[in-house]
Amino acid sequence: MDGVPATDDDYYRAAALVIEFKNVGKIYKSLLGNSVKAVEEFSLTVVEGEILGIAGPNGAGKTTLIAMMLGYLRPTTGTVEINRLPARQHIERNGIGYLSELIAINPKWRAETALVRYATLAGISHSDIPQRVGYVIDLLGLAEHRDKKVKALSKGNLQRLGLAQALLRDDQILVLDEPTHGLDPVWTQRFRDVVEELRRPDRTILIASHNLDELQRLADRVAIIDRGRLQRVVSTGYENTAPVAGTRYRVTLASGHELIRAVFPQAEDAGRSEYDVTVHSIKELNAALADLIGMGALVASVVPERSVLEQQFREAVGESQ
Amino acid sequence: MSRGSSLARYSLWQFRDFVVERAIAILIIGFLWGYVLIEPLRRSMGPAWSGPQGTTVFGIALQVSSAIVSLSVLIALNGIVSTDRKLGYYRFLFSKPVNHVFYYAQLFFVYMVGVVASMFVLSSLLQTVLPTFSIPHFLLYTVLVYVAMGGIGFFLSVATRYDWVTLAAVWLGARMLRSLYGPRNDWRSKVVEVLPPVHKLDEVANSLIGTGTAHATDVLWLFGYGALFFVLGLVALRWRSLAD
Repeated sequence: MDGVPATDDDYYRAAALVIEFKNVGKIYKSLLGNSVKAVEEFSLTVVEGEILGIAGPNGAGKTTLIAMMLGYLRPTTGTVEINRLPARQHIERNGIGYLSELIAINPKWRAETALVRYATLAGISHSDIPQRVGYVIDLLGLAEHRDKKVKALSKGNLQRLGLAQALLRDDQILVLDEPTHGLDPVWTQRFRDVVEELRRPDRTILIASHNLDELQRLADRVAIIDRGRLQRVVSTGYENTAPVAGTRYRVTLASGHELIRAVFPQAEDAGRSEYDVTVHSIKELNAALADLIGMGALVASVVPERSVLEQQFREAVGESQ
Repeated sequence: MSRGSSLARYSLWQFRDFVVERAIAILIIGFLWGYVLIEPLRRSMGPAWSGPQGTTVFGIALQVSSAIVSLSVLIALNGIVSTDRKLGYYRFLFSKPVNHVFYYAQLFFVYMVGVVASMFVLSSLLQTVLPTFSIPHFLLYTVLVYVAMGGIGFFLSVATRYDWVTLAAVWLGARMLRSLYGPRNDWRSKVVEVLPPVHKLDEVANSLIGTGTAHATDVLWLFGYGALFFVLGLVALRWRSLAD
C-alpha cells in the first residue's frame, strides 16, 4: 500500500471503499421450519489496494459470506455493496476474479477449452483469447494438462485450473476461497508469489483460508469470524506484532548454550540447541537477545511459537465459544 | 467488448453443448422409435404404402413424430437451469460480467434451434419414405411444442432440482386430470381449465403437421401458456438466489 498513514484507522478511512458489508445476516430455513443462523450482523469494509484475509473455523460462515458478496445468496438482512452498487449488479457489469472452495467445472470439458469458454464469457476479445489463456496456463503450470478432460485432473491441477480462470481478466477485485486447498508445497509457495505479483494499488483481494500462516504472510488485515459473527479484525503488519503478554518464542543457538539462562532464567530446553522462552514485549525480547549476543552467544533463529494472528485467532474463537 | 456480444459469442458454445449432450440422444431415440414403428409397416404394406391406405400410414407417422417432438423437448429442457445450480457450475460462469437471466434466456432459444435442427434431420429421413410428410409444417409444430412444453419446463428447472420428473408429471397429470374431470360440469372442471393445455396438442398436431393450419385460439393458448411460464421462470431466476 502506498503512503504511511498515522494509524490503521486513518488509512482505512482515507482509502477508497471497494466492498462494504452492512449489517449482513443470513438465516437458512429448512422446509420443516428449522432455521440456522449462518451469518449475523456482519459489517466490514474493504478498501482499494488491500488484501483482506477471512479466517474462521469450519462452519464459521466464510463461504456464506462470500456467496452473498457474489450475489449468489441473498442476505436475510443487510446489504453487500461493491463500488457503491449492489454486489450482483457490480459483478454483472464488471465481473470479478473468483476462485471457489469447490471447483465445479463440467468434467467433460478439456482444461484449455474450459478456459476459452470462461474467457469468452468474461468478454475477452476473440483475438486476445489465445494469448490470455496461454498466459494463465503458463503462469499456473498447466501446459502439460491443457488437453486433458477436467475429470482427469488431479485435485491440485483442478485447483490450479480454478485459479487460472479467476485470473483470466485483469479484474479489480479477486476473491479466493481456500486457494491453496489441495496444492502441494511447491505450488502453495508459487501461489503466494502469484498473489504478491497480483498486489496492486487499485486491486482488492479477499482470501478466505483456514491457513493462518498463509494469511499472515499475504493479507494486510484479517477478519476473524466465528459462528457467523465478526469477532475482530487483525492487522498483520510488523508495526502491529507487539506480542500479547506471555508470548513464547523458540530461540535456536549456534553456540553459547550455557549463556541462555543468564538472560532467560525460565528458558526451557527443547533439545537440538533450541530453547523456549517467554517474554512480555518486543522490547524485552530484543534487549534480552542483545545481551545474549553481547555475551558471545550466536543466535541462529528466533521464532514465535504462535504468530500474532494465531494468538488473536485463538483468543477470538475461544471467546466466542 | 460489450457484455451482450460476449454472451452472444458464447451461444456457439451453448449450441455445441446441445449437440454433444442432447442432440445425439434425441437423434438416436427419434430414429430408433420411428424406424421400429414405421419400417415394419412399410415392409408389410408393400405397394399399398403409397396407395389409398396412405392416409392411415400418414396418421401413424403423425402420431409417432408428434410424440418424438414431446420427448425431444423433455430431453432438451432436462436440467437447463437446475444442473448448473445442483453441480455448482454457476459459480465460475456468473463471476464473469454476465447477467444470468440473459444467459439462461439465450440458452433456452439456442436449445430451441437445436431441437428444430434435430427434428429437421429426423423429418428429412421420414420424408424419404413418406414424401407427403411436410417438413415445414412439422418444424412449425416443433416450435409450438417447444414453447408450450419448454416454457413450463424452464420454469420448473428454475423452481426445482427435479425438473425432468416434475415436467413429465405435470404433462401427464394435466392430460389425465383433464380427461377425468374436464367433461364434468362442476368446480373440478373449472380447476383443470388452468392446467397446461396438453389436450389441445393432439388436435393441433393433426391439423398443423397435416395441413399447416390450426385453430388460432388453440395455438395462442398453447403458445401463451408456455410463454407465460417462460417469463415467470425468468422472473424467478432474477429474484431467487442461485446458491439456494
